Formats: sequence, C-alpha cells, structure tokens
Amino acid sequence: MTDYEAVIGLETHIQLNTITKIFCSCKADSWEQEPNTNICPVCTGMPGVLPVLNEVAVKKGVLLAHAMHSEIRNVSYFDRKNYFYPDLPKGYQISQYDMAFGDGGYLDLPMPQGYTRRISITKLHLEEDAGKTKNVGNRRMIDFNRCGVPLVEMVTGPDLRSADEAAQYLIRLRQLLRWLGVSEADMEKGHLRCDANVSIRPVGSDQLFTKTEIKNVNSIDNVRSAIEHEVERQIREVSSGNRIHAWTLDWDDDKKELKKMRSKETEADYRYFREPDLLPLHLSDEWLQETFTDFPELPLNRKKRFIEDYQLPDYDADLLTTERNLSDYFETAVKAYGGDPKKVSNYLMNEILRMLNEGGKTAEQLRLTPIFLAEILKMVDNGKINTSTGKNLLSKVEETGLAPTVIVENEGLGLVSDDSAIRAVVEKVIANSSKEVDAYRAGKETLIGWFTGQVMREMRGKADPKLAQEILKELLKR
Amino acid sequence: MELCDHSGYELSFFLREKKISAQEIVESCLARVANVDGRPGSVDSGEMTLDDTQKVHSFISITAEMARDQAKKIDQKLANGENVGSLAGIPFTTKDIFCVKDTYSTAASRIIANFKAPYTATPVARMLEQDAIMIGKVNLDEFTFGSSNESSAFQPSTRNPWDTTRVPGGSSGGSAASVSAAEATLSLGTDTAGSIRQPAAFCGVVGVKPTYGRVSRYGLIAFASSLDCPGPLARNVTDAAMMLQAIAGADRHDSTAANVAVPDYVGFLDQGVKGLRIGLSPDYFQIVYMDAVSGEMIRHPVSDEIKATVYHAAEVLKEMGAEIIEDVPLPNMRYGIPAFFVISRVEAASNLHRFDGVKYGYRTPQTLSDLNEMYRKTRNEGFGLQPKLRILMGMYVSAAQYSEQYYNRALKVRAMIRHDFDQVFDQKGKYRLNAILTPTTPSTAFPMGDVYGDTVLMQYADQFTVPANHAGIPGISLPGGIAADGLPLGIQLLGSDFSEADLFRIGRAFEEGTQTEAWRSLKPQVLRAGV
Amino acid sequence: MKDEITIEVFNHLVSLAALELDETQAQYLRHELNQQLKAIHELEAVPLEQGLKINAHGVAFTPQTSPQLRTDDWIPFEDTTDILAQLPQSEDRYVVVPDIPHEKLD
Repeated sequence: MTDYEAVIGLETHIQLNTITKIFCSCKADSWEQEPNTNICPVCTGMPGVLPVLNEVAVKKGVLLAHAMHSEIRNVSYFDRKNYFYPDLPKGYQISQYDMAFGDGGYLDLPMPQGYTRRISITKLHLEEDAGKTKNVGNRRMIDFNRCGVPLVEMVTGPDLRSADEAAQYLIRLRQLLRWLGVSEADMEKGHLRCDANVSIRPVGSDQLFTKTEIKNVNSIDNVRSAIEHEVERQIREVSSGNRIHAWTLDWDDDKKELKKMRSKETEADYRYFREPDLLPLHLSDEWLQETFTDFPELPLNRKKRFIEDYQLPDYDADLLTTERNLSDYFETAVKAYGGDPKKVSNYLMNEILRMLNEGGKTAEQLRLTPIFLAEILKMVDNGKINTSTGKNLLSKVEETGLAPTVIVENEGLGLVSDDSAIRAVVEKVIANSSKEVDAYRAGKETLIGWFTGQVMREMRGKADPKLAQEILKELLKR
Repeated sequence: MELCDHSGYELSFFLREKKISAQEIVESCLARVANVDGRPGSVDSGEMTLDDTQKVHSFISITAEMARDQAKKIDQKLANGENVGSLAGIPFTTKDIFCVKDTYSTAASRIIANFKAPYTATPVARMLEQDAIMIGKVNLDEFTFGSSNESSAFQPSTRNPWDTTRVPGGSSGGSAASVSAAEATLSLGTDTAGSIRQPAAFCGVVGVKPTYGRVSRYGLIAFASSLDCPGPLARNVTDAAMMLQAIAGADRHDSTAANVAVPDYVGFLDQGVKGLRIGLSPDYFQIVYMDAVSGEMIRHPVSDEIKATVYHAAEVLKEMGAEIIEDVPLPNMRYGIPAFFVISRVEAASNLHRFDGVKYGYRTPQTLSDLNEMYRKTRNEGFGLQPKLRILMGMYVSAAQYSEQYYNRALKVRAMIRHDFDQVFDQKGKYRLNAILTPTTPSTAFPMGDVYGDTVLMQYADQFTVPANHAGIPGISLPGGIAADGLPLGIQLLGSDFSEADLFRIGRAFEEGTQTEAWRSLKPQVLRAGV
Repeated sequence: MKDEITIEVFNHLVSLAALELDETQAQYLRHELNQQLKAIHELEAVPLEQGLKINAHGVAFTPQTSPQLRTDDWIPFEDTTDILAQLPQSEDRYVVVPDIPHEKLD
C-alpha cells in the first residue's frame, strides 16, 4: 500500500485592529452593533465617492510583513478586483494584485515534536473587507458595517504537511498578530479567517496534485479537524481508484463534517487593473525605519533567549512568551528581583496567571506590578515574611494598589525575629507540653516540627521559623 | 441687457456695492430660464413638440427654492456687514454628474434617476462656501458618455443656444448652454476627453479643463477615473479664473487631488503675454483616423475657417508680445482616440459595476427568481445604449487574455502622448513652450441627429481635446470667432502641469486683443430680439 | 473583414456584464464594438519606445505633490438614514436583495 502525505497551504485573512476603516473614516469595529450603522457614502459605494488610504492600516500591515521576513516594496500599487456580489458595494474590491507592499517571506514553525518547518509566504497584501450577508427565507439581508475593514491577505506556499502543522501555524500566527498588536486575531469573531487548500501525494513525490479548498472554518480546532477529515477522505478516494476533484468544501461545525459547495468556477476573470483612484503607495526607507523603531523582539526569539539567559525549562519559556505583556512582565520582575528566575516563573505560571484569568486582565493591567512582585519575593527570601504571607500579599497588592512593604507595615505581617519575644513563647510552649518534652528528650527528635508548629500558632504565623527552631532546640536540650 | 447677462465679477461687485441684491440676481436667472429653457429633461418625456425644438433645455432640475434661500442668506449677511465669499451672489449650474446633498443626482441616466445624494461633491461644496448660488442641475450625455448631449436619458436633451437645431456639444452640454444663454453665470462641468472644452467651443463660452488633480473629484460620478477633471465654464476668462480659484486644491476626500498650492489666478490675469512662447503644431490641424470600411488611414484637414481662426489668434497674441513658434511636432496626438477607446472603457465598465439595483437608484419592478436576474434586468432597463457599449468594450479589452494587447498597450501609447508634451514644454528643450495654441474642435456644432449613433465618428470630435486628458495637462477653450454658418468657433490653449495661471493670462490677453472685433458683439440665437 | 467580436463572444460579454439585451440593441452594440475595435487596432501599428514609463494619471505625482495618507481618526458620517433612504428594498436596517442562486449539487 502507498503511503501518502498531506500537502496543505493556508489562505488567511487578517483584520487589522485600526480605529477606522481602510478607505474611509468610519469606525472599523462593529462588534454587536446594529446593521448598517458604521457606514458612510464611501464604504457603501455611493456614486462619486473615492477611497483615501488609512496610514495606520499600512503601518500595521508593514509590521506584520516585516515579522514574516517579507521584503517591503518601496512602491506598491492597489488594483481593482471586479465581480458582482451584493456584499461588495462598488462591484469591485480594492486589493493589491501583482505589486503588493509585501514580497515573499516565511515563518519558521517549531513543532512540539521538536522539528521546525519553514512555511513560505507567497502573497501578502492589503485589501478591504466585504459586508456580511445572511439568508432569511428567500431573501438575502446585507449589512455593510464590515465593508472596508482593513485586511491583510496572507497566503502560504503548499508547505504544511499535516493538520497539526496547519493548526500550529495558526496558533503561532495568532500569537504573532497579538504580539505585534496588529490584530485581535480572534477566529470566532472573524478577525482571523482561514481557508485551507488540501491535497495528498505519495510520500517522496514532489508533485502537486488536485487540491480542494476548505472554507468557513472558524476556529483552530476546526481547521485541524476539517483538514484531518479531508486528508482521510482523499486517501480513501485515491486508494479506491477515484480522482480528486477541485471542490470547494464547507465545514459544518455542528455535524463536524465537510460539505461540498458549488464546484470551482472555471478561471474566474476578475479583470484586475490598477486602481486609478489611489496613487502608488510610496514607502520611503525613512518611513520604514521609523515604523520599525520600536519593532519588538518576536515571541520565538524571546522564548529562546529566556531559555538561554534565565535557564528556564522549555515549557516555562513557551508559556511565558505566549503573550507579549506577560513576557515583558516576567523579564521586568526578574531584573528587579535579581534572584532565581525560575522562582519568578513559578509565581507567574501559578498565582499570576490565575489572577489574570480570573480578572480577565492582561499582565500590563495588573496593579501588582512586576516591581511589586519582585519586592514580595525579596521579602520572602530575606525572611521578612513567610511564603504564605507572600502569596496572600499578591492579591492584597492587586486589590489595593499599595506597595507590598506598606501593606506588611500597616497590617503587621512582618515576621518576628526578635530573639526574646520568640524565646518567651518557646518557654511557654515547653512549660505546657511536658509529655512531648519527655518524648523528645527520650530521642523522638522528629517532634521538633510539632513544637515549631505550636510556636507558630501562638504567634499567628509571624515568627521567623528558622529562629524559632533554633531556640526550641536550645531550650529542649536542657 | 438683463442682470443675468452681466459677468460674474460685475455681479459680485454690484452686490458688494449694494447696487443689487442676490435675490434680484436669482430672479433674473429664473426669468431667463423661464424664457429660453423650455421644459426640463425627464425620463418620461413623451412626444417632442415644435416648441421643444426651439428651446435650450439645459436643466434636469431647477433648484429655485434652494437658490432663493441661499440668496436671502447672502443678502442678510451683507446687510449685517458680514463678510461674504469670493463668489458671492454669482449664479451657477452644476452638471448633473455631481452629487449635491438633497438634490436628485442623476448622471442623466434612468438607473439613478431617483437617486438623492446623501452628500455634496467637493467642488460644489467649495462654490457654495464662497457664496455662489446654485440655480440647478444641468443635462449631459448619459454618464458623460458622448459629445452631443443626445444620449441623455432625460429628454428633451440640451440644444445649442446659437442654433437650436444644433447640438450643444457634450458631455457638459447643459453646462455650456446654460452659461451661453445666461441662465447662469458659471457652470461646473467635467472633462474626460474634451467634455468641457468641446461644448464650450460649440456654445461660444470659456471652458477650462484643469490639470488632473487640480480639482477634487469627490462627488463626481466617475466615467474614467484617471482622466476625469472637474472644471469651470464661464462667459469670460476672469470669471473662469475666479471659479477655479474657489474649487481648486487638495481635499481630504480625494487622494489624487494634488498637494499643490493654488496660485492667485485673478491676480495674474493682467500680466500680459510678453515673452511667453506659444506653439502651433501641424498635428492639430488635421484629424487622422482609420476608415472603418477600407481600414485605410484618412487624413482630414480642418476647414480653412477653423485654421484661419487659430492663426488669427496667434497673430493677435504676437502683436501683444508673445512669441509664436510654428511646426511644433506632436506626432502621437493622433493615437489619442484609440487609446481613449481602451483606457476609458476599462475604467468605465468597472465604475459602472456599482449600479446594480442593490443600494440605490433603479431596481427592476419585474418579479424575480433570483439575484442574477435582478442584476441583469435592472441593468438592462436602467442603462441606455452608451453605458452598455462602454461596459461591453471595457469587459472585452480588460479580459485577462487581451489586456496586454489592448489595455497595457494603450497605457504605453498614453505615456508617449505625455512624452510629446513633456518635450515641447521642457524649459531647457528645443521648444520651451509656455502654451500650445490649437483649434478646440475639428468642426462647429453639428446638427442634431447627424452623428449620433455612429460612436466612432462621435468620438473623433474629441481628437484635439483628448490628448490633454491622457497627459493630465490643463487646457482652456476660448471663443475665437463666429463661423460663416453663424456658429461659434473655439480655440484651445494647452499648458504644462499646473500652468493654469499662464493659460488664463494668455486667454485674458486674447480677450483684450479682440474685444473690438465684430463677432464679439454677436449673441446666441435664443437671446436675439424677436426670437 | 471578419468581426472580431462574434455573437458567441458578445453573448459571453453580455453575461459577464450582468446585462441582457433585446435583439435590436444587441445588433447595434455588437456592430459598434467591432467598429471601435477597428479604430483600436491602430494602436498595434504604434512603434513603442523602449523603457517607456507608464504612469496611471498622465500627471506625475511626486512625493511632494502626493497628499498624505489619512490619519486613523474616526469621523462618523452625519446621517446614515440618508444612505438607507436610498435602498430599493430594506428591512430592519438591512439591505435586502433576492436570494443568491445556488447550484444544486449531487
């Protein structure tokens, strides 16, 4: 039996999170708004209107292209893609055809199994989104709110070899988009949309065979399932001697199955030509330089550096770099703390992440700043407070916004390291526990823990435990 | 002489001197419209009457109430001693290809006959800001597709005020006729291949096609976006200069409106022509085209009368101090029409995609089985023949398999036309011209019905005007004389990018140099006593 | 001379253009198209210069004369009801059109 491998390319549409649309001053985000509220003559294609390009859309597109190692063209062009559809008010979409602002590119995709796959980018351009339509009975209802929301269309080469790789690509892309702050990248809300081109071939072949196109998949898990289903189907078909047809397939999320849409139209001719209403897009080297001034260290690089510089385990480094704010938080805390980075990591991965999830916050929104976290860690290390006080402090700082030292002071949470105060309590405990004292002195030295517990209870946890134990041992010896 | 027959600068002066009121100006215009215009164009026009054939029919909609309200406000401002705009009280018409909020903005097409624009085009808004008063919206060829006005879906279409059996030219025919018959002082037109200059020549008025990007296109219902230019029509150069001053300049709604400062056109007007170099080109004294039947190239010289008019103008300017340079070669001008046939159609077909019955305008009343049927019936019933022709041609020449042969080739030819102009305007080159002087049109206004239908012949009426659109350079058509048949003759001045100030200067000098000539005192037929 | 745009080509164009024509119109339009194409063919005889730089608007826009890109500031349109008032058919602020045909498969 022949072994087959999957050959997958992904076409993604990324909504940029600008304030306004790409060619008019309407608000771009219409989530949960009434239909046809964020519209104007321009985005509804009224006669006589003209597009005016949003600079921030260009900037965000350029940041993404740079992160994808794409060459940025100093001069690029917009083109009209002509077709009739009721969600496309002008009857053409303004897009970039043969001279887009981004040229080529790739993403090195690390797989959990340990290998890295280089995914090439064959297309990267700016365009406008279309409206939304829905069927009600035999009528089609159209909402133009989404018309003109800026999109980057980014298409990979047929370089992915499994559903897992496709899913991993989307996970890394989503991470990157949020990291760069160019898109909310929420697939459920359509910020990130993905079509998958899927074909199979015998292992070892470098030919490309007829592919199908899977559309309307709205989560990463569904992309994975849809591709898995389709690869299996294609292998079944080919194994039983059937041909693969260039179908367009629709993912049915409820039934978890693929359905055939209309068979792919023969050579749709969009009659592209240069958009005469826009001038060529000139991006000077100075403009690019300025745009890249604050270009961030990218997540995979940062992860690598965390492992090298802070000796973090792969797991920690990966988790701490899922999100840019969190990784910034970590690094600031580590530097302020000066102690073992793994300790900081532990706090982050447990307490802080829980705090973020529960509060629906991102790391930079916390009142518990990385500096405060470092202070708490230092107080624990110095024996100023014990570990459990330290952990309780986290939420107290977050609630009040006060510095941890202030709270410790105000609430008297500091450990008592005054020899005479502890000595007095130890004497009291020994006097009240003659049975245990006898047992200890008879050689049952493990009781030291019990004694320490008693002292701590008497002092409501505020005793320096090390000191308490030393004094206990000294007095019990007598 | 009625109030409406005065020039714009006179009206503006009288108004500021409080000799007249803005309301009097408006009433004078409306009275003229009532006298000469006949019924406005309509999509349900019924039978033509004899009376119809003797009227001008400039208008599609007369915005009398808006005009009166505006006049009242201007009078009030003046009474209060407040400042008024540079065009205060000057009445104008707007070619109905511009959107004006709360007016029907029809493009002279059935497909948007009922479209009320929710916004105002930038050049119109700028005129209103300067307190010019809009009298109404005037007729044109459907979507500006023509050179005679006859293709308007709004009939009766405009007739030439100098002879109502003749066309006014087009597509800004209503604009030229309304100014010529003094129904208004100024008109806002558009020029894609000569649509301002050709009707201006046919109707004996001044027409300006500014540099591409000089005036914002926002609100202009597009024909060919890379060629369309809004511009003024007026009865004299000074009025045209005042108007361009008001409408020119960058616009946040148009990314092709150039970021170039607007000079003081009026201030430069009287600087004379001493030292300016004006060229004459043999390539502008013949039309060259391929005979449709034999496929042979036909060279057809312009009439002696037209040639004499241009040479006379050159003579006048020479006497006033200009230097005339003859035999300036512009060999690629003759390809202007075939290149235009391709480029304008590709853009037009795309621009007309949006008229689909979904968002505005006409939707077929027939019962429909599906969306595609709605598209087809709506577009078939809504578009006239000329838009359909342009759509089909645009579709053909931009198809993926043909676009190299047709579209890309036409773009290259366009670049060659531009290159010809660059050479002769190059101030370090051989010719160092400030302007080129040409006839505006190869003929005077043709009789209605003579050319309409033959779309190739009709297009060749634009052979002298279309090169400026390809090159993006400015051009102005001036009344140059009256032909033996009693019809106006136009002369054209072309200049380098953003040289409108020079063209106005030369035009103004020509007016001065010819002000005592007999033809200057002739009036259009519809304004002569006893008619 | 043979017509470049045959009836078949013409009908294809008509369908691409979302039009439908009666016979008289079709005949006239096809005739005019073929006439215009003959004029257009003159372009083929033009000797093109090498290295010709095409620019989209005739006028060469320089970085100085090109308007700035738009800043990302929200300016809501004053009255969307003016836009909706133009709709041939609407319902609850939606634009309404007849259904989109789907091809029956299988």
